[in-house]
Amino acid sequence: MKTKKKHGTGLLLVVVAVYLLIPLVFTFLYSLFREWMDILPSSFTLNAYGEILGDSVFWLSVGRTLIISIIPIFICMVIVLLAMYVVVVYHPEWDKYMKLLCTMPYAIQGVILPICVLALYADAPEPFSNRIFMLTSTYCIVVLPYIYQGVRNNLNGMNVKGLLEAAQMLGAGQFYSFFRIIVPNITNGIIISSMLAMAIVFGDFVVINMLAGNYFPTAQMYVYEIMKKSSQKTCAAIMILFTVTLLISMFVFLRGADSQKQDEEN
Amino acid sequence: MAYIEFKNIDKFFGRNHVLRGINMEIEKGQFVTLLGPSGCGKSTLLRCLAGLETIDGGAIFLDGEDITRKDPKDRNIGMVFQHYSLFPNMTVAENIAFGLKLKKTDRAVIEKKVADAIRMVELEGKEDQYPSNLSGGQQQRVALARSIVMEPKVLLLDEPLSAIDAKLRKSLQASIKQITKELGLTAVFVTHDQDEAMVMSDVINLFHDGKIEQSGDPVSVYTRPVSSFAAGFIGNYNLLSVKDFTLVTGKVRQSGKETAIRPETFTISHQPIKNDDEYHFEGIVESNSPRGNVLRYTVNVNGVRIHIDALFRSRVLFEDGSRVYVSVAEKNCIVL
Repeated sequence: MKTKKKHGTGLLLVVVAVYLLIPLVFTFLYSLFREWMDILPSSFTLNAYGEILGDSVFWLSVGRTLIISIIPIFICMVIVLLAMYVVVVYHPEWDKYMKLLCTMPYAIQGVILPICVLALYADAPEPFSNRIFMLTSTYCIVVLPYIYQGVRNNLNGMNVKGLLEAAQMLGAGQFYSFFRIIVPNITNGIIISSMLAMAIVFGDFVVINMLAGNYFPTAQMYVYEIMKKSSQKTCAAIMILFTVTLLISMFVFLRGADSQKQDEEN
Repeated sequence: MAYIEFKNIDKFFGRNHVLRGINMEIEKGQFVTLLGPSGCGKSTLLRCLAGLETIDGGAIFLDGEDITRKDPKDRNIGMVFQHYSLFPNMTVAENIAFGLKLKKTDRAVIEKKVADAIRMVELEGKEDQYPSNLSGGQQQRVALARSIVMEPKVLLLDEPLSAIDAKLRKSLQASIKQITKELGLTAVFVTHDQDEAMVMSDVINLFHDGKIEQSGDPVSVYTRPVSSFAAGFIGNYNLLSVKDFTLVTGKVRQSGKETAIRPETFTISHQPIKNDDEYHFEGIVESNSPRGNVLRYTVNVNGVRIHIDALFRSRVLFEDGSRVYVSVAEKNCIVL
């Protein structure tokens, strides 16, 4: 009975994996096509990859994407942690308002957010009207719910009050205790929510196109531009971006898993 | 002036008046227990002494100094919590050294003090373990070591043994008592367990509804309860109203509201007992239950149920439903 159930679960996983991999596999195959014939290509080639990998504009755009993903996440994480410190230590009754505020961006994503930001700040004095400033700040709002939820869930699993009180009794200040004892214990949550937020920013096209456009050509903009020229190159660029994201995610997750395993062994 | 003094302490949680004009004095080196049921205010008073709660009225003095408004970190008071509160990201040694590092103590001194503390709580070889790899008892030993290494003026223990199994609890009770005695520490211990309070304390303060109901050494609190609450909480006393007392003993008592009689002061026998200065009566055994080294009998005497403890020499001395003869000395009947 148990084996049957196990096989059923395994089959279901295979079906889901195949379903998720089909677009990826066909994107990859299409990126190798030399010339489109009827059903099959005339031959296969790695030319598209060669051209993309050798294009400095592509790498610059990837670099910009990484920067515009990391900076807002970092800023947002610092703000959320500081806010959580105030809520946890001084005003636990504010937690419900914080939750409401932090989950609100879920409702105003998509095209609404950049339009509102442009309407409000396009004619504002510097630095508010600066497109990069606008973009960074807007991404801070976009990733806020993911960062907050990750941090909050991890804090819920800890006896935060007890640990802070214990540290206080040993002579530590509240701020020091929070960042020396509480934050290191939610590192995994911080990593996972950051990765999730990074995936959201990496996949965004609407916000960056509307707010930065040609001011700050990112990988998304690059893909959009080459779509007009070559479908094979577009697919190759997507596959390279996918690989870069996958490698970064795997690196971070493996580091996280390693440190968790080390803690368990200790 | 006493080493620790609580003067007219008042504390409110919203409309709830949790501490009602508490006055208490603790001498240096004493092991004092705050005993009482949940919600009586004992832990709140301890937290007020630690500085983790503010008070709404009164003052707290430690070693002659008014510490009422001082920050917890500046009071030099150590505290052991019910749920240990060890820092999960630090090893045993790092946990113990945490406070010393904050005080910027010399590294060599830290190492020596940490090693001494680990030896004292018998955790040699566990220095590099993380709290998650320790048992509850070991974690509580680390918490104790972490507090005593700071050489605090007072050690506070907030129900430190309530999450630990019975056997280990007994050994930890002995360890805590021995360590505080060895170091000459003044300790304030909170518990709801009257047996634990009896074993560990120099002085017991029995709390009830935000007030100290009775205060004294364990023997006097146990043998001379001042109220029905104290009698019921401390010694599992039989509390007989004036009417019940007459029904049981056949004598009329003029003074007091209730009579408190400890279960172990009764004598129970198959034969009639006749001694001077004792009340004698007959009853029917309703039930018996073993409680460690004693058997507790519930005996019905003229419709009044009384509990009688007898040494557990054999499985059942008196069968359920059997007629028994009971006596109790007059001096053991405490009029409240």
